[in-house]
Amino acid sequence: MKITVIGGGPGGYVAAIRAAMLGADVTLVNKSKVGGTCLNLGCIPTKALLATTEKLQTIKDARDFGIKVNGEIEIDFMAMMNRKNKIIGQLVSGIEFLLDKRKVRLLNGTGRVIEKNKVQVKYEDATTEIIDADKIIIATGSVPIVPPLFPYDRINVFTSDEALFLEEVPESIIIVGGGVIGCEFGQFFTKIGAKVTIIEMSDQLLPFEDPDVSKQLLRAFKKDKIKVMTGEKIVKCEVKDNRVIVHLENGKIVEAEKMLVSVGRRPYLENLGIDDVGVKLDKGKVEVDENLQTSVEGIYAIGDVVNSPFLAHVASKEGMVAAENAMGGNKTVDYRAVPRCVYTDPEVAAVGITEKEAKAKGIEYHTGQFDFRALGKAQAIGSYQGFIKIIVDKEDKIIGASIVGPHATDLLTELTLAVHLGITATQLGDVIHPHPTLSEGIMEAIHAVHNSCVHAL
Amino acid sequence: MSNLLFSTDHEWVKVEGNVAYIGITDYAQKQLGEIVYVELPEVDDAFEKGDSFGVIESVKAASDAYIPVTGKIVEINEELVDSPQLVNEDAFGNWIVKVEMSDLSELEELMNSQQYEAYCEE
Repeated sequence: MKITVIGGGPGGYVAAIRAAMLGADVTLVNKSKVGGTCLNLGCIPTKALLATTEKLQTIKDARDFGIKVNGEIEIDFMAMMNRKNKIIGQLVSGIEFLLDKRKVRLLNGTGRVIEKNKVQVKYEDATTEIIDADKIIIATGSVPIVPPLFPYDRINVFTSDEALFLEEVPESIIIVGGGVIGCEFGQFFTKIGAKVTIIEMSDQLLPFEDPDVSKQLLRAFKKDKIKVMTGEKIVKCEVKDNRVIVHLENGKIVEAEKMLVSVGRRPYLENLGIDDVGVKLDKGKVEVDENLQTSVEGIYAIGDVVNSPFLAHVASKEGMVAAENAMGGNKTVDYRAVPRCVYTDPEVAAVGITEKEAKAKGIEYHTGQFDFRALGKAQAIGSYQGFIKIIVDKEDKIIGASIVGPHATDLLTELTLAVHLGITATQLGDVIHPHPTLSEGIMEAIHAVHNSCVHAL
Repeated sequence: MSNLLFSTDHEWVKVEGNVAYIGITDYAQKQLGEIVYVELPEVDDAFEKGDSFGVIESVKAASDAYIPVTGKIVEINEELVDSPQLVNEDAFGNWIVKVEMSDLSELEELMNSQQYEAYCEE
């Protein structure tokens, strides 16, 4: 079986490796570095940069922990960027190594589907090659959306793609969009010394999450002196004398040196040729069935090009499922337990349903909640803002959870497992949680579902 | 303290014309313990009596602060952002927000200092 995967991000390279493990003869066509947006322009570089600001914060807080720090503390901007680049380099070569050992043929070029069973690869030197494929997996990912309102010059007005390659700390920056990317970058820029204004159209940060979760983050942002403007619509944006000037619908004017546009992402399908071979699209996304097969038999699509959450781990899961199905399997993806992680300080992590979604769908539910503040471990480490909230259905089954607080993204996994397996609050509440840990907060929040929480009134 | 008015949510109000200075009481700061952050509203924010206008965060709790009178915020005590402990040090000396009141009759529902002391002992 010959399988060609187009796109080497966390969807495509995983699909390629999985297909090779199942015995396929796999070609992976990828136009830049493997790892895609996630590794090169997204998840990993941002986390590397946030690790620097986290260390900086630790040093700034040192006095509270009984450490005297003398002398100047400052960010070495280029050293920080170089560290990030080095991490990316190591991880890219790690994936290349895996692909090589799994005998995946990696072609560095741009793929285009020219027939149902043929992919044309165009190399940088303009030469082309045609690959025969029994099955094709589309995994070309997404790019940032920049509405025409914004004068996207990549210097003053840019997206997350360019933000990762700045050469100095901007004096001030306007961030358009208070979603995951906007929030993470907003806090990053503040901590390295820029004056940050976040402008969000909806009435809260992280519009997808519950308002109580978002409120905690807003408070943390206020502490950091980030100016957050919600419910604001931008009607005009211009760059004048190296300054970005934004006009809001209510007449207010906001000005800064730079602007990051982070209003969302869209599937990247340019010049891919799939519509020519009959692959159906729906609202700019590739239509797939529950096996991730497109309207053309033998062509699959995964990750950001299909209508599922724009998340690396979703793409990877879909990559595995598509690879198995291309090899004759009949797998599907269970989307009920997709974890969502935001790497702010405090972190935000959630899985399954939110309260507002439950309300909108008319699902009967109740919640249990516990504040980190009441945990010995949280007090000991000096990070105690936030809470854990569990949502259960009328049969006591855990259907959703939100965590805002220290190590939220790591703590979430237990609750993801619970939602995935359909465990009840009673069952999870019976599990012994180690003391002293932050995970005790999960146990307490679960107990709170039945009002049997020992450490709260 | 005798020139102050008090709410059942442990806020104090000092009236100057149609402007009210609002803070939390000494009793409230003692209950909260070490205050680590005071989340302030924005100037021009309008609130109805009983709305939460901010959050007082201590090592023990994060408590909403409820506005005892309807009105518009005309000034916030920015000093508290970097020095929240001032509320612990002198709760009556550090106002949190200054409000332009829209209904002075609401003041009649607040307690005087004797009434408030009795209320705290309940």
